[in-house]
Amino acid sequence: MGKLRIILTSAYVRGLIGQLVGTLLGIGFLEAIRGAMGLSPTGATFNLFGTEVAESSFVFGAIIGVIGFLSAAGVLTDWFKWMIGLKTPLNHGAPAGKPEWSRYLNVDVNHKVIGIQYGITSILVLLVGGIFAIIFRIELAQPGMQWLTNDQYNTLFSAHGIVMIASILLGVGAMTNYLVPLMIGASDMAFPRLNAFSYWVGVPSVVLILAGMAVGGWDTGWVGYAPLSLRAPLGVQLFLLGFWINGFSSIASAINVIVTTATMRAKGMTWFRMPIFVWAAVAASLIQFTATQTVGVALMMSIAERAIGLNFFSPVGGGNPILYQHLFWFYSHPVVYVFVLPGLGVISELLPVFTRKPLFGYKWIALSSLGIALVGFLVWAHHMFTAGMADSLRYLFMFTTMFVAIPTGVKFFSWVATLWEGKMSFETPMLFTLGAISVFLIGGISGPILGTVPTDLHLHDSYWVVGHFHATMFGGFIFPFFAALYYWYPKITGRMYKESLGRLHFWLMVPGFWVMSFGQMSLGIAGMRRRIADYEAGLGFEATHILVTMAALVIGWSVLIMVYNFISSARTQEKAATNPWRSRSPEWQIPSPAPEFNYDVPFEVVGDPYDYGLDESTYIQMAPAPAGD
Amino acid sequence: MGKYKHFIIVAVLVVLTTLGLKFLVFGPMFQLPVQASEQGVSIDTMFEGHFWMISFLFALIMVLVFYSAVVFRRKPGDETDGPHVHGNTALEIIWTVVPVFAVVGFGIWGGVTLKQLLSPVPDEMTIKVTGRQWAWSFQYPEYEDINSAELVLLKDQPVVLELSSSDVLHSFWVPEFRVKQDAVPGRTTTLRITPTMAGEYKVRCAEICGFDHANMLAPVRVLEQAEFTAWADERMNAPKFGEMTPEERGALWYSNEGFACEGCHTIDGTAATAPSWLSVYGRSEQLTDGTTVTVDDAYIRQSILDPQSQIVAGFEAVQMPADFGDQFSAKQAEIAATEGVEIDIINDIIAYMQTLK
Amino acid sequence: MSSMIANTHEEHAHSHELPWPEQLKANRLGLWLFMLSEVFLFAALLVARFVLWNDPVLGVVRPELSQELGLITTTVLLLSSFFMNRAETAMGQNDQKRFLSGLLTTAVLGTAFFIGVVVMEWNIFGLQGELFGIELFGHLRPSDGVISGIFFAMTGMHALHVLSGIVFIMIVWNNGRRGLYTQEKHWGVEACAIYWHYVDVVWVFFYPALYLIGTAVHAM
Ligand code: HEA
Ligand code: HEA
Ligand code: CUA
Ligand SMILES: [Cu+2]
Repeated sequence: MGKLRIILTSAYVRGLIGQLVGTLLGIGFLEAIRGAMGLSPTGATFNLFGTEVAESSFVFGAIIGVIGFLSAAGVLTDWFKWMIGLKTPLNHGAPAGKPEWSRYLNVDVNHKVIGIQYGITSILVLLVGGIFAIIFRIELAQPGMQWLTNDQYNTLFSAHGIVMIASILLGVGAMTNYLVPLMIGASDMAFPRLNAFSYWVGVPSVVLILAGMAVGGWDTGWVGYAPLSLRAPLGVQLFLLGFWINGFSSIASAINVIVTTATMRAKGMTWFRMPIFVWAAVAASLIQFTATQTVGVALMMSIAERAIGLNFFSPVGGGNPILYQHLFWFYSHPVVYVFVLPGLGVISELLPVFTRKPLFGYKWIALSSLGIALVGFLVWAHHMFTAGMADSLRYLFMFTTMFVAIPTGVKFFSWVATLWEGKMSFETPMLFTLGAISVFLIGGISGPILGTVPTDLHLHDSYWVVGHFHATMFGGFIFPFFAALYYWYPKITGRMYKESLGRLHFWLMVPGFWVMSFGQMSLGIAGMRRRIADYEAGLGFEATHILVTMAALVIGWSVLIMVYNFISSARTQEKAATNPWRSRSPEWQIPSPAPEFNYDVPFEVVGDPYDYGLDESTYIQMAPAPAGD
Repeated sequence: MGKYKHFIIVAVLVVLTTLGLKFLVFGPMFQLPVQASEQGVSIDTMFEGHFWMISFLFALIMVLVFYSAVVFRRKPGDETDGPHVHGNTALEIIWTVVPVFAVVGFGIWGGVTLKQLLSPVPDEMTIKVTGRQWAWSFQYPEYEDINSAELVLLKDQPVVLELSSSDVLHSFWVPEFRVKQDAVPGRTTTLRITPTMAGEYKVRCAEICGFDHANMLAPVRVLEQAEFTAWADERMNAPKFGEMTPEERGALWYSNEGFACEGCHTIDGTAATAPSWLSVYGRSEQLTDGTTVTVDDAYIRQSILDPQSQIVAGFEAVQMPADFGDQFSAKQAEIAATEGVEIDIINDIIAYMQTLK
Repeated sequence: MSSMIANTHEEHAHSHELPWPEQLKANRLGLWLFMLSEVFLFAALLVARFVLWNDPVLGVVRPELSQELGLITTTVLLLSSFFMNRAETAMGQNDQKRFLSGLLTTAVLGTAFFIGVVVMEWNIFGLQGELFGIELFGHLRPSDGVISGIFFAMTGMHALHVLSGIVFIMIVWNNGRRGLYTQEKHWGVEACAIYWHYVDVVWVFFYPALYLIGTAVHAM
């Protein structure tokens, strides 16, 4: 089969066609019913190929479209077969008669393939979100409207927010899927088909969000507050739907991670002998599989209020706009810890390797992940200090919010103690780890000032908040994610990335980031509101805005350097050593790339994971290989 | 020295770095706007406290990181491991408990300050604040319901703002006053401010509210007693609606005091978001469907009541709220009730438009 | 690009499923976690109900609904759970006949419940009728403001689960008819039963919240 043919018949292409066909069929179906019953549409109508289509038909079409994507891509095939009672053996390995690489373009159940699919999609989506940021940053560089309209600006920053968050969730999926089974000595995830579903359902959800930009866009930000969301153009509907569909991915993959960890650990691997990243993955999953449901409810209610006129949030019919915010933040606060916990796990994982020292306070770090996850559930209303909720809640949530600092602090202090007297070396992954610590630190300590209500009354919805969350998300996710990509790159590809380019990336991105984030914070203190397309001249914002925009371009270029590095190194670099970092972790004791089922012979855990500096100690022992193997 | 050498050096560096950060870095970088309200006093003190904590924590961690990176780093050729230290329970407990005190301290501080910000004070003046896409208006119930598009305040007079919204969420923020409060449709929220510095400021809507959120601003003037009384007297003696000419009323409705048409329609011929009203009456307009209409009474009435129905070419993304009909009826009913006169707001506006040549 | 998974040990490539007892353990845990996840969905709806159906004067309110209809549908659903239980134990005793009939009865009762909610309570066809003085069809409309909104949301979300449960039962019934389950190995049946009981339990919380708690009001 030719290359082109394989690409054109890949699951991505089939899926997208399926989504398009499904959407049109869905719209047509509901319109036909509506016509037959003589119903007049509630809500807005839209012009599609010259006919007026009701919004509810659009919603139905979008849902059928997602099902269309999944069916056409082949994600549901095994389940369909099971329904009619056929046997469904789990097919592993490359599809027969096709080259190995075609696996990555099709539905595959191997957790490493899925992890890589997640990772590449995450980077692509990051680039899309980054391009949006760069477009609107250029607009913000000067006061006055230069090359965007208000509508375009509003759509761009809203899309930037949600697209970036989708990218993070995909990146988290990449790390947990690829690493958890390898680290605990499992051959795959507990539910490989569900795992594939989790990844593939994310793709049409991102497509929906991007499509929303084409049908009018939306101006609500990524939070989609009612009642504004109830009046925004059709784009907001696709944004809500895309966000909602993405929830399925989160829930399914989180359950998979927990079950895999709970039931498939290697012999001798007790909970406190797992690599620390697994703890982080489990803690993040605990949040994901529960809290996601409540934002789902909030989104579904908004979708229904717009499409079929049920009333929940619009005060006109007696609804309560604050309820939306509670339901939304009950998920969307905890989810920020989903973003960072795996990232912090990567930091804890890499520090011992590059300092040649045991992880300081393993148990404390492990339990602090759980602590963050649990306290994280009790603080959501700190996003609503000015929203008009009861005053008693302001006091309550001020206190709970402050308490998240404590488990986070335990992590920081334990990291520092790990570094202390450690024999540090500075390869790219370590550089990004140190960068992550510094950046997440400033993100974290710009949080309590938002958590105390009196100061938040000034800072709320200002650029201080923007600076705060870019620092937390870069420090807690982007930097560790990049560290992880460099660190496990030899494991994934079997080759070494180019160290010089890696360092260049780091030394561009770190100063770029500091300028961007501190610039945003200082603007916020000075009174710059967020989510504004334009600001007046003469307020003293101009110089800082130019700096922030230039920093954005630097960050953008540095990310492109990384992408170039990864693509070119996979072809040209020499083969990497099996264990280039001299790590004790199980995944480095087997050949790179890892075999289809990870460990051809199961291993047994006989020591602690991070006993660097302890002579004669080993973490795992491979069982003697069966004869003839 | 000996064993403690490292710790002593680090301690000194942390102190120096904290001071350096506080005064040379964060100090210049994080500048609050001028402080123009009593509320700002306690809030700014709290900001100071936070900046100290930020400087200290940042110094503490970063000094330790850099120190370890420089002093203990791996020497070329060294393949050995570091010391085998697993952890230290006493240390872990210390760095769990000490921050507990810090955060509880800040929590109590925040609570006390917040209580003070929320507590009513005697002799407050009430002002009703209404947000709508994309303008603010202010009513003074204690001054015969003066209706104003600018917020005029009396220096050192505590006010309690009663905020509401007629459409979506907005948020009242004057950075110089520090405090902020959302305006929520369907309910009333309150905010207390005591301005302490005469001058001119701006209300800046701080909650995304759609298309023109960025420009949802309203002027604020803080006046001395004499000026304020003069302003209030002038506004209270302003002609009643019934005594105004339709043209005058039309101009009022057009302004932000009325229905904020000026937010989108200019009267100087420039047309950014919506057609300008300069010479609009009687003009021929090309519509999006290709037809041409003459702007007459019927067309104007139709365009106000149903903005989506006939759209002028070049303005496809219609942002105009569709509920002006309802807003007008409510206002007309109110005027009929208070003054006993029947007026037609759309006629006023048409009359006003005819004056714009 | 070189392959990112080493191709050693071809012979393993097509045969690597978890041993059954382990997979069963994983399945059970997975299902329970899913149920827990759904607790948050239904809890969020319940919370929304108590926030939205709250009148400044009357306190907690609820729509005026036909009590008889609610009681009948609830009974039907609870009864179905009993038959589901019968079916599952029958499978454990290898009683194929009782197993299949139990499943069918459950599905029929589930469908009756579904019709009770969607056709009668929602009255999607706009019908009218009385039986023994009981009004058979509801009168709430989607446009009745907040008093109807959350009613449709809660009953709708639950009905969706009932519907998927019925589909699930029919699939299991079909597979069972073809003898795909054995006394020892019938995870499909177990999962189906747990799911159905769960949907039942949810209704046990929803029913009082919709029909019993608070002062009855006409549309707000
Ligand atoms: C990865 C993401 C992430 C993370 C980890 C955090 C972490 C924290 N966030 Fe942040 N936050 C966001 C992402 C994140 N946030 C986003 C996206 C928004 C905006 C959403 C929107 O509106 O669009 C937001 C907004 C936001 C607000 C609302 C602001 C507003 O709109 O008015 C608040 C208010 O309390 C807040 C607080 C905090 C706190 C207290 C922490 C804490 O967890 C931080 C804890 C860490 C430390 C404190 C540093 C290390 C600790 C020590 C060294 C120990 C000693 C410390 C002390 C004694 C204090 N955040
Ligand atoms: C992980 C999450 C994430 C990431 C990585 C970023 C990255 C960036 N973000 Fe952010 N941002 C959010 C999450 C994120 N953002 C969220 C959630 C919001 C809130 C939205 C809301 O209010 O609802 C937000 C809002 C937000 C605002 C506020 C908008 C407003 O309120 O009006 C700003 C303004 O400066 C901004 C800027 C940037 C910039 C410059 C980058 C840069 O780092 C981007 C760097 C670029 C890349 C990584 C892409 C690589 C580059 C290319 C492919 C092109 C290269 C081309 C050239 C250089 C020409 N973002
Ligand atoms: Cu009003 Cu923003
Ligand atoms: Cu938060």
